[in-house]
Amino acid sequence: MTATGLASKVQSHLEALERRYSRYLAGSLVSTINRRAGSGEFTRLDPESETLLEVADQLWRSSGGLFDITSGVLRRAWRFDAANTTVDLSQLESLNKKVGWDKVKRTIEGVYLPITGMEIDLGGLAKEYAADCAVRLLRDHGVTSGLIELAGDVATIGFQPSGMPWRVGIRAPQGGDPVGGIALSNAAAATSGNYARTLRYEGRTYGHLLNPLTGWPVEGPTSVTVIGENCLSAGAVTTIACLQSPDAAMAWLSEAGLPWLMIDQDAGYHGPLASKLGLGPP
Amino acid sequence: MSPLSGNSVFLRSLTRTLATLPAYQAGAALADAPPAFTEVGVRYSHYSEDDIDASSVIFGATSRYDIDITQLWIEAPVGANWSVALDVQNDYQTGASPWFVGTDQDGQPGVIMSGASIQDNRVEVGVTTRYFWADGNAGLNLSHSDEDDYEALSIGFDASWNTAANTRTWTTSVSNSSDKVNPTQGVIPVFVMDEELDTQSGYFGVSQILSRTTIVRVGLNYTYSDGYLSDPYKLNDRRPQSHERIALSTGYRHFLIDANASVQFDYRYYADSWGVDSHTVELGWAQHFERSTLTPFFRYYSQREADFYQVTADLSEPHFADDYRLSSYGAMTLGARWAINLGDWTFELEGERYWSDADWGLYDGDSAPALVDFWRGTVAIIWRFD
Repeated sequence: MTATGLASKVQSHLEALERRYSRYLAGSLVSTINRRAGSGEFTRLDPESETLLEVADQLWRSSGGLFDITSGVLRRAWRFDAANTTVDLSQLESLNKKVGWDKVKRTIEGVYLPITGMEIDLGGLAKEYAADCAVRLLRDHGVTSGLIELAGDVATIGFQPSGMPWRVGIRAPQGGDPVGGIALSNAAAATSGNYARTLRYEGRTYGHLLNPLTGWPVEGPTSVTVIGENCLSAGAVTTIACLQSPDAAMAWLSEAGLPWLMIDQDAGYHGPLASKLGLGPP
Repeated sequence: MSPLSGNSVFLRSLTRTLATLPAYQAGAALADAPPAFTEVGVRYSHYSEDDIDASSVIFGATSRYDIDITQLWIEAPVGANWSVALDVQNDYQTGASPWFVGTDQDGQPGVIMSGASIQDNRVEVGVTTRYFWADGNAGLNLSHSDEDDYEALSIGFDASWNTAANTRTWTTSVSNSSDKVNPTQGVIPVFVMDEELDTQSGYFGVSQILSRTTIVRVGLNYTYSDGYLSDPYKLNDRRPQSHERIALSTGYRHFLIDANASVQFDYRYYADSWGVDSHTVELGWAQHFERSTLTPFFRYYSQREADFYQVTADLSEPHFADDYRLSSYGAMTLGARWAINLGDWTFELEGERYWSDADWGLYDGDSAPALVDFWRGTVAIIWRFD
């Protein structure tokens, strides 16, 4: 197969995943599940989707409920992109009732969201999974050198044609030059950040990530990067880290045992990758 | 474990869950890529038959066979798409076996044993080259086996390939073996010299991932042998010159995520042109631990006797045999396997106990006086390195 042919094969595989897991496409599996919320109708799952929900379940359990694919509806109470952030507290209260992975019914019949208006969003998983699928597809076609980047998540195959490892820059939260470059070969790097969109509310700065247990924004790390075997596991570790306080995040990252870099709100750098890159406290 | 797989409980359980998705199946990837490491292994088994019940013996020793099996192998990648493997096996066999079944003064059948004098050593050397492509692999194997009284040369070809997004794996193999039988004269007289046996065998099977926790497989094997098929060390043994065998094998594996274990069920049906047919059922429970897997198993076997089998052979028939292995009987095996992974090293331990009894079988037939019970123990050490 030619390189162009292979690229279009990868492209169509990624599009197929998007058609299944995007919450923005009306015909997707995720939209179907969401549309049937409260209707009593279960949605049957193929083994792949069933496994992704199982992964979501593990992330929910391991994070003490902080990673919750049903938490997306909380965004409706917050207006992040306005100059003056506002929160609709009465709406937040009613939206909170529609949040909770433990409410979701999963049986042999499939999956069902028992409350009207409840929604799931696989955005926190599907992108990383798609990158891993792309790597697999390329490897299966004999590709021995390659780099896949899907919106901040990077997966690499082998070395660069020059024989050097792939080099991936870590974006600085404040913009500008990358804070450093990490070398990857047959490994993936995932970055989650709270910096892309922030808000100020009653004198405090918040990131856009919401705590599903309270409905309020998380006061967590600004950015976390983790290197792992694949994008999905590296991404899971970073995402859960970003949902915690900086201290709890560092404990979580250390326990995971993967190379990590955390940037806190005061632009301090932490973790084994920070030492490696010669980065330190602010 | 690679440093990038992490070490937390969370990452380990996540890795297990992801392993059911084709995108993360290291096993599938390895199956279709030459081994990334060189593997060296040694395996030793001891097989020991219980003494035969003295009341079943008319004459001779009551001790039976002991076999020591030592296997050494090395497999290494060659270039981007090939691997080569060398396999050497040595079997050392000592003890006595039933020579023939006669009747005692009361008219009861009993065994005349060969005397505890048989010693035999067999050495088999095999070389396999294997080619890997994106969706499968194919191997060519040559092997030569030599012992005092038997020499065999065989060639085999096998292939396996994946379809349906790597959820289905097809496997096929064919082989041919040319054997020369030249029994040694010992304490028992032997009446054959320079006999030959040719065997062809073919297999076709498929395994299918049904869900992220379930896999099934089914396969059909056909074997045809032509030549000298009798046992030269038995007095009253004249078997047909050809032997057709067919076997249907099926397997089911179901992974239980909460228990971190898998249930294993295997069934095999066998039938041959000598009138023997058999059923084998095996149940196993593979319990996964952090660094090891423990699999206790139970196997039940039942066979129908060959058309020409009799407790005491009828020498007036064109074909006859009094070999207990051709009688109707049932057998049970209880055993356990334990595989331990420590980085580049894998240790395997296995033990099993086998009992057979004419009354345990599903089929009618007279009870052979020499049915066997045995122990088998195996230990293996495997080392993988760059």
